[in-house]
Amino acid sequence: MKRTGVFVCHCGINIAGTVDVKKVAAELAKHPGVVHAEDYVYMCSDPGQNLIIQAIKEKKLDSVVVACCSPTLHETTFRNATKKAGLNPYRCEIANIREQCSWVHREKSKATQKAISITRGVVEKVRRNESLEDVSVPVTKRALVIGGGIAGIQASLDIADAGYEVILVEKSPSIGGHMSQLSETFPTLDCSQCILTPKMVEVSKHPRIKLMTYSEVQEVSGYVGNFKVKILKKPTYVDPDKCTLCDECTKVCPIVVPNEFDMGLTGRRAIYIPFPQAIPASYTIDEKACPGMFDTAIACGKCADVCKPGAINFDMKPEIVEVDVGAIVVATGYDLYDKSMMAEYGYGQYPDVLDGLQFERLLSASGPTGGRILRPSDKKEPKEVVFIQCVGSRDPELHWPYCSKICCMYTAKHAMLYKHHVHDGQAYVFYIDIRSGGKNYEEFVHRAVEEDGVLYLRGKVSRVFEDNGKLIVWGVDTLTGKQIEIAADMVVLAMAIRPSKGMDELAKKLKIALDKDGFLAEAHPKLRPVESMTSGIFLAGAAQAPKDIPEAVGQASGAAAKAMAILSRDRLFHSPTVARVIRNLCTGCGMCVSVCPFEAISLKEGKAEVNEILCEGCGTCSASCLRNAIQVKNLTPHHIQEMIKACLGG
Amino acid sequence: MVSLDQLKEEVKKALSSGKVKYFIGYENIGSGWQVRPAFIRQPEDVDRLVWTPACFHNLVRFLHDEKRRRAREKNPDIRPVGLVVKGCDSRSINVLLQEKYIERNDVYIIGVSCELTGVINITKLNQHLNGLKPQKVLFGSKGTFKVIVDDREIEIEAPDILADRCLECPANFPVIADVILGEEIKRNPGNRYQSISAYEKMALDERWSFWQQQFSRCLRCYACRSVCPMCYCDECVADSIAYAVTAETTADEKAQKTRWVERNPELSENIFYHLVRAIHLAGRCVDCGECERVCPVEIPLRLLNKKMEKEAKELFGYEVGFDPAQPPLIACFRDNDPQDFIR
Repeated sequence: MKRTGVFVCHCGINIAGTVDVKKVAAELAKHPGVVHAEDYVYMCSDPGQNLIIQAIKEKKLDSVVVACCSPTLHETTFRNATKKAGLNPYRCEIANIREQCSWVHREKSKATQKAISITRGVVEKVRRNESLEDVSVPVTKRALVIGGGIAGIQASLDIADAGYEVILVEKSPSIGGHMSQLSETFPTLDCSQCILTPKMVEVSKHPRIKLMTYSEVQEVSGYVGNFKVKILKKPTYVDPDKCTLCDECTKVCPIVVPNEFDMGLTGRRAIYIPFPQAIPASYTIDEKACPGMFDTAIACGKCADVCKPGAINFDMKPEIVEVDVGAIVVATGYDLYDKSMMAEYGYGQYPDVLDGLQFERLLSASGPTGGRILRPSDKKEPKEVVFIQCVGSRDPELHWPYCSKICCMYTAKHAMLYKHHVHDGQAYVFYIDIRSGGKNYEEFVHRAVEEDGVLYLRGKVSRVFEDNGKLIVWGVDTLTGKQIEIAADMVVLAMAIRPSKGMDELAKKLKIALDKDGFLAEAHPKLRPVESMTSGIFLAGAAQAPKDIPEAVGQASGAAAKAMAILSRDRLFHSPTVARVIRNLCTGCGMCVSVCPFEAISLKEGKAEVNEILCEGCGTCSASCLRNAIQVKNLTPHHIQEMIKACLGG
Repeated sequence: MVSLDQLKEEVKKALSSGKVKYFIGYENIGSGWQVRPAFIRQPEDVDRLVWTPACFHNLVRFLHDEKRRRAREKNPDIRPVGLVVKGCDSRSINVLLQEKYIERNDVYIIGVSCELTGVINITKLNQHLNGLKPQKVLFGSKGTFKVIVDDREIEIEAPDILADRCLECPANFPVIADVILGEEIKRNPGNRYQSISAYEKMALDERWSFWQQQFSRCLRCYACRSVCPMCYCDECVADSIAYAVTAETTADEKAQKTRWVERNPELSENIFYHLVRAIHLAGRCVDCGECERVCPVEIPLRLLNKKMEKEAKELFGYEVGFDPAQPPLIACFRDNDPQDFIR
């Protein structure tokens, strides 16, 4: 009484070019239980879907197989069509004869045979499928944004403006991220802080944004619509409500450590405010630096003595805050590649070899030199500056194979701004290619060359070393084939962009994947660029790939829109193809409990029990069970066995 | 030396106090020297008990029967069952505890130390005696066996007739027990994987033909499965009768159900059975060697299990059955687990 319909798609010539689709349909028509088989040029088109709907109704089909592209693309399309025809959508299955057949084979007869085998297997599977109903889950209408740089700020504002609560978590004492360190931004040369700080203030004043700075995500459990997150709020030892920002404390603090905000070009005290416009506007005691924090405390407490409002509290303790959220945006940004990897360029050895962010600080009016370009070594104005691009990027042998994308543009900006400050100076840029794709970007680079006389040299630098107070740069100009030696006063390295430190740990907590270079992996490189593989977790900014500000902001708004699409719903539906325990086979060994990556299984009265909402149907439990006592619905060992049998022609 | 009197005394104590339901130890078969499992229910029966080098059975296997009995009975007697265990047997108790098959208070354990010897291999003994019939096989002084033949006493060096598994044993002392008899004597097992070193030198295709040859002889009597302390599934995949039957399974589906393995002793089915068993024992087998001992056609099953044991040790640093709190091998995942063997 099985009545299966088989629909074979040509996909233009994508499938039909390699697979004899007519033969596939004809062979499947002969398969026992198949009462309808046809082919069509584009099954996913409206007329194609109508063929399926019509056949279900006319031939009273009880199951449907569509032999077409990967189920990741059109499974939903065809299941919806099946549903429209009055059949349970889980009675429809996809036989992938494109990605797994026509695209990977050349010989038509063999590919056709394989397509027939694949489709037969799926016919045997679908006729054993149960009719299932989606699992429904309520939604917590609140979002978590991790990372308070420009991408996290933008995502938070967008979500909060749409009417949902947002918790913005930032690990450092202030939001603002790397953008707050920049001087001016390409290609318009507007002041970075001037365009950033209004957004930072908006975040701090927004009634629906709860800002948690100096905090880190510690544990994430749950699932889309219902995440449970534990956030560690590190103690700042300063009460921001009492602090009046009088700055008396930093005057008495005896400890000086490198200032992260100035990329180590200056020092800061153990009690500090990261930068004047910091949000929240308050001080933090760096417990690693403060002598009062050690067990063997030299009883210092000088800051507390001078603090008139009594804002300093050495007894502040780390706090764990638990929050429920429906969606998560990860915007953890970037760090520069470890410069110690670049010994040949003398970084760390010579004080006048800087990285891009350090040079930004020299350019910045709020920086260590008040916006004057001076050598860190002798505070003299450098007359010859060499900029080296692709330091650690585009170097698959030794460092990273990818292009860090923003360096071409910021190096042009650096060279240009240098010339604006030092009119009689000369800027050299060593480059591999100039990549200036972006609105007004190409014009910007041309301006640097034509108006500011920046000298671009196509080639790599082999070595930088000091000689007689000068930094000697050995390089080659591959256009003229000449070796070049420049006696420079300063060298600026455009270091590769890396995911921010600790992001791999965070990714593990969130159970989201990293790509081969360590950035967050998107669900689809083209069509789902802001989604992670885990539903409900979205990506924004340089954590996903190197990005400039407009791209990071754009992606943040995209991620916010995706998050809002979840938060706007009262209930979410979840695939019912989840694990099921066959109680009489279960011995309660708990193996499935420990291997489940979603913590969806627990032991109740000596037997495993599946939380259908948490289960993603990955089947790890089923693979680990020695007794077949836990099986994924519609993909049981029995299904698999019958598929194998049908594929082998049994 | 393990004192038999002390063993009897302990069993008597446990039985007369009503602390244990019954006791499983070893007794002689008739008046001979060979040994079988003994079920002691009354304190006065303790005199049946023996402790000799022929006590090779792993009695842990009987806990399966007890578990099933308990599940069957309406008001089961839930007192612990007493067991005599050697070092290797005690490790299999740990695995059962890990897998939550039993709880610690389901079993009362009298552990016996193998000290410098272990249990014998009957074939080796017969070869050594060269046709003579032993009357008694006993533990000798340090590191020897004492065999009585024709009312003569022969002293045999342990390694000459020890079971192979004992020669490679890393646990001659019980790792879990309520009472322990005998001394804890450190013994260097030498190369724990001695028995597989020749096998490991074989090329892949040689190994394949070796196993084909071995498995072609299998009768599918399932003695290996019956004697195994780890084979406790109520339904074995090798039988696969109800493996996918749920409330929703239709009669039609039941009718067309096929099995993973057919119980006919054909080479392909035999290979499938043995390989599934080997995989299911990976990280669980404690090398008690019972499967190999009971095999009527002498398939070297220890070779298969020992190889898996070595893989687990070398790849994942996993040692079976020393710690009841350790998670099962398949449930241990670390990010830095080696992956280069995946091809």
